[in-house]
Amino acid sequence: MSKATTNLLQGTLDLLILKALALTALHGLAISHRVEQITNGTFHVKPGSLFPALHRMEEAGWLSSSWGDSENNRRAKFYRLTTAGRRQLQTETRQWETIALAIASALQAS
Amino acid sequence: MPFLSRMFSLGRNLLTRARVERDLDAELRVYLDQVTDENRKRGMGFAEARREAQIELGGIEQVKEHVRQVRTGQMLEELFVDLRYGIRTLRKNLAFTLVAVLTLALGIGVNTAMFSVAYGILLRPLPYPAADRVAVVYMNYFPRDFKFGTMCIRDYLMWKENNRSFEDPSLFRSLRMDIGGNEGVPEQVQGASVTAGFFSTLQVNPLIGRTFAVGEDRPAAASLAVLSESIWRRRFAASSAVLGQTILVNGAPSTVIGVMSDVFRFPRRETEVWTNLPQNPPTRFGPWFYRGIARLKPGVTMEQAQLEINSIGLRLMQENNYYKRLTLPVLNLRDALVGTTLKPAILVLAGAVGLVLLIAVVNVANLMLARATVREREMALRLSLGARRGRLIRQLLTESVLLAVMGGATGLALAWGGIELIRAWNPGNLPFIDSVRLDRSALGFMFLVSMLTGILFGLAPALQGSRADLSSAIKEGGRGASAGQARGRARAALVVSEIALSLTLLVGAGLLLRSFLNLQRVTGGFSAPPRQILTILISPGSKKYNDEHAGLVFYDEVLRRTRSVPGVDLAAVTDSLPPDRQGDADTFVIDGQALPSGEMNPIVSEPTVSPDYFRALGIPLVKGRYFTEYDRSDSAPVAIVSEGFVRRFFSGQEAVGKRIKQSGPGNGDKWMEIVGVVGNVKYLGLTIDTDPAYYMPFAQTYGPRMYLIVRSSGGTVGLRAALRRDIQSIDPGVTLAQIGTMEQALNLSVSQPRFDTMLLVLFAGIAMLLAAVGIYGLIAYSVAQRTHEIGVRMALGAATGDVIRMIAGQAALLTAIGIVIGLGGAFALTRLLEALLFGVGVTDALTFAAAPLGMMLVVLVATFVPAIRATRISPVVALRYE
Repeated sequence: MSKATTNLLQGTLDLLILKALALTALHGLAISHRVEQITNGTFHVKPGSLFPALHRMEEAGWLSSSWGDSENNRRAKFYRLTTAGRRQLQTETRQWETIALAIASALQAS
Repeated sequence: MPFLSRMFSLGRNLLTRARVERDLDAELRVYLDQVTDENRKRGMGFAEARREAQIELGGIEQVKEHVRQVRTGQMLEELFVDLRYGIRTLRKNLAFTLVAVLTLALGIGVNTAMFSVAYGILLRPLPYPAADRVAVVYMNYFPRDFKFGTMCIRDYLMWKENNRSFEDPSLFRSLRMDIGGNEGVPEQVQGASVTAGFFSTLQVNPLIGRTFAVGEDRPAAASLAVLSESIWRRRFAASSAVLGQTILVNGAPSTVIGVMSDVFRFPRRETEVWTNLPQNPPTRFGPWFYRGIARLKPGVTMEQAQLEINSIGLRLMQENNYYKRLTLPVLNLRDALVGTTLKPAILVLAGAVGLVLLIAVVNVANLMLARATVREREMALRLSLGARRGRLIRQLLTESVLLAVMGGATGLALAWGGIELIRAWNPGNLPFIDSVRLDRSALGFMFLVSMLTGILFGLAPALQGSRADLSSAIKEGGRGASAGQARGRARAALVVSEIALSLTLLVGAGLLLRSFLNLQRVTGGFSAPPRQILTILISPGSKKYNDEHAGLVFYDEVLRRTRSVPGVDLAAVTDSLPPDRQGDADTFVIDGQALPSGEMNPIVSEPTVSPDYFRALGIPLVKGRYFTEYDRSDSAPVAIVSEGFVRRFFSGQEAVGKRIKQSGPGNGDKWMEIVGVVGNVKYLGLTIDTDPAYYMPFAQTYGPRMYLIVRSSGGTVGLRAALRRDIQSIDPGVTLAQIGTMEQALNLSVSQPRFDTMLLVLFAGIAMLLAAVGIYGLIAYSVAQRTHEIGVRMALGAATGDVIRMIAGQAALLTAIGIVIGLGGAFALTRLLEALLFGVGVTDALTFAAAPLGMMLVVLVATFVPAIRATRISPVVALRYE
């Protein structure tokens, strides 16, 4: 994996976190694993970017958090999507698709 | 929703900071544990698993810091940190803080006080709805030539008939009224006679009862009265039974229909009774007693109304060839109440305090720059430890704004004291003085000015301080090298601007002072010591004294009794008093004078006086004789004219023996022989050029309401009670009002110029003081910086004189530049003073020469102290310095 691909744009990171939480509530480490899994190992989110992003998105009202028991019986802080978060996921998905399509067609142009 | 969520986060972050932090810490620790667990599952030992997890996390404190950065309210939190740090820094530099806060307090204090005055008089909403839509209409015409003069009922009817711009034009007149009846002793009050639409034009409602209804100003309408709250409390114990009661107004029964709150004060501050003005159909033009008041119709501007009224003025001139050059000036209500001289004065004073504040700002900026040198290493150190520059600027600005707000708060005390002082020392004719107070708007102003000030004087030092050149700053060690020199130049420039600003103020204050001294030298045209003259406005009260014969007998008795009071030297009655109480005025013709057809003589003062008037006031007799007891109503009509009258209408030729006649509308055909010429007296104010006048004997031109003049070489203090008792016992209806000395009248007439002058001189004084502190600071600082150099010079044989010359040379150069700029500024700005000056030009050479000299003197003193200190430097100590 080259360095450039891991250097995430802020918007991209948000989108990936929203997507990772789309199905169920997860704690920090699980989110990191989930992102890695759904991007087929392309993105590995470091805690230095993950936690500021989680807190920022929570303050924006997209995520809510609560303490709960993790799979190995540790208390962990779980994040889940709020209604606003779901809306945000839809918006960002649409935007991303538009951009991806545009870039793809730009690159195919002769 | 996102907004709510943010507000919620803000509250949580700020209020439960410790919990938020604990939460974050726990979250990250769990993460660390989880990764450690995973690593162990992969077969690592605990120590290795832990280390790998820590590497993965990348430093728990850094991650926390990153999370904090994105938190809502992060800025606020940093602000609190900066404030705490700022307070600590300021407390550590107590001398600096004290000087800066006091300087700012002075600057912000005088500004807040002046703002309160300007706001109270020029801006505070009047107690009448949409007062800016209410116009007062005046009339100005030759021969009268009063810019804001009065009209007569015929003029009003013409205006009303042709009016399209205003709703319901109304008319009012101010006059003295005698109030009496069963409710108490009679008294004289200020009253107003108004048409029915007067109150509804102002859209004011009475406390109780009603105001005049439509039609109650028709001819032969019943006499009605609206009372003020003050008179209602004074005479009727605030009882609602007053409504419907009959009182005597000028001897005639009137029915009380309502009471107005004391907030309502129009047309004068002291008006206490309003009566309805029946518009009897006028048979002729005159008398000119009235001013118009009306509310603009929706959508009509004051300018449009003025245009329409101009055309009505033209028609008035066509209809009456007595009017020449007639205009109908329209003023909005506030301008009408404030007057035309006070506004420019207040604006000039507000500008002046602005300059004072600017000087205070410059002074504090200078102090900050000096301190920036000391703090350079601190800043450099913080920059090299990774602080962002914006962060440093923000911190320095926080400090300066903190300083400014402290100054502002201290200044508030000063402003409060200043306002109390101004109110206590109210020149007497300042309108709305009651609405001058330290209130919410003044507080807001103070706070805003403090913030702006803090940013203004903090910005330059902050920008410069945060740009510290790291290596040199840390090496420099506080001694002036390259950056220090740039800073020195900046400080020099600040001192120059300070000198320039205060010189501008000094010139302005000098001009006003000269003008005021001129005014003080003006006499009213009489030589009697003002302190020895007591004047009393007397009304005989009862209607029977409207008759000339009864009235003359009454006043003969008044004079007889007055003369018999011990201590009274002379007594007389008059309807006019210098310096500004003009009585009647009229135009006239001179027997044999060939006036071009359609032309006429101007309207001039025509005082009605008893024989001893001239002797009592000390008005010199130039020719002929004064009036005597033999000039009775049944003897030949006589007149006395002033020197100015002779010069203007007789071209300086012999006037005694010639005949003149009053010739305004409504005058009879009574030729009067001129029997004497007296010196000029001012009846229209000290600043108005002496107007010509002709005097008539009281016995031949009677009026019931007269001033009694008493001259007493022993002073007038003990006379009042005796006079009051003796005069009132002539008739129970007699009232005495406006009792005061000529000295008080003269003081009152110059009170506004005195007010303007005192304040501007005070402000210029503060400016000079601040400038002196600034120069002293600069020179003292530079002496301290150059101690080493001076020591070397002295060791090498420099004499005391050389050192002083070196130090003073720097100050002299700065002063010279400052004075040149300041004089330029003064030339540009003093023309704003033009309307306030009397007998002195805006470029008065004396002032423009004396002010720079004064400035130099101040600089000299401010420089002298540090320069002398420099010569006391011992070379041995100096070379060891630092």
